[in-house]
Amino acid sequence: MNLRNQLIFLTIIPSTISLLFNLFNSDGLSLIAIPIEKIKSHSDLLRSSNVSGIREIDISMAIELHEKKTLFVDARSEEYLSDGIIPGAIFNDDIDSLIIQIENRIGSDSLFIVYCSDDDCGSSEDLAYELQDFGFTNILVFSGGWKLWTDSGREIQAYE
Amino acid sequence: MNKVNPYIILSMRIITGMVFIIASYDKLLDPEQFSRDISNYHFIPFGLENIVAIVLPWIELFIGLGLIFGIMIDGSALISGILLIMFNFLVIQAMLRGFNIECGCGLKEGEMIGFQKLAENFTLLFISFMIFSSKVRIFEFYPKLPLSK
Repeated sequence: MNLRNQLIFLTIIPSTISLLFNLFNSDGLSLIAIPIEKIKSHSDLLRSSNVSGIREIDISMAIELHEKKTLFVDARSEEYLSDGIIPGAIFNDDIDSLIIQIENRIGSDSLFIVYCSDDDCGSSEDLAYELQDFGFTNILVFSGGWKLWTDSGREIQAYE
Repeated sequence: MNKVNPYIILSMRIITGMVFIIASYDKLLDPEQFSRDISNYHFIPFGLENIVAIVLPWIELFIGLGLIFGIMIDGSALISGILLIMFNFLVIQAMLRGFNIECGCGLKEGEMIGFQKLAENFTLLFISFMIFSSKVRIFEFYPKLPLSK
């Protein structure tokens, strides 16, 4: 078997198996990723019928919900918290302890917001999906996170 | 590369093969997480990260098994090299854009992108090149060298 045929075999066969495996797997992914629903206003939030329970908000919604005392969860690594956190936000790098903290504060069905460093960090989304797997049903991801919050001149709180 | 001891080449094949098999394991178990890791690089357009997350781990598994069990070593080493060049390109572009993201490599949980990751990938790239270039091999079962036409 020459090199060309080897390359064809080593790409086509695993690709075919993977797509068939995904097709018949009950947890299989859609072939095209569906972006998280964006919530731009409070009425959007009420109207939203997203089944996954994870939606994305921008800075104006984050400010509005913060003023309404909605719980914020910081998904950054602890090393970044020396800069401060969004006032009232909670942080715990142990997922079990974090779950207990959230449940004690608001239960598992109430709305809360997860944020990380900026638009590109991804850890807020990861944490949101992880928490969803633990039964939380109403999670918002604040895109822009800490950077957008501080850039907009909002108040911050020291992390202790 | 004919002067390299074939046992060294065999060790390189086993190490590289193990790295790819271990890297594929978590991705095969949780393609959704892998898709989000890919998405964090902000490079793959049109929601295609899901297809990559579905297909790539299986290719990694096949080339890992190929390298270890001596099946299609040339093809496996070449694809390994191509993948490592792609991975390094993704990491470099993310670093240049200032992203502070998890690598999603499947080897260590929470591993971030950075110079250490680049060094690991370049080392594996060099090893893949050594394997591909070696013409004296042991434990190669299919196809036997020289490559059949």
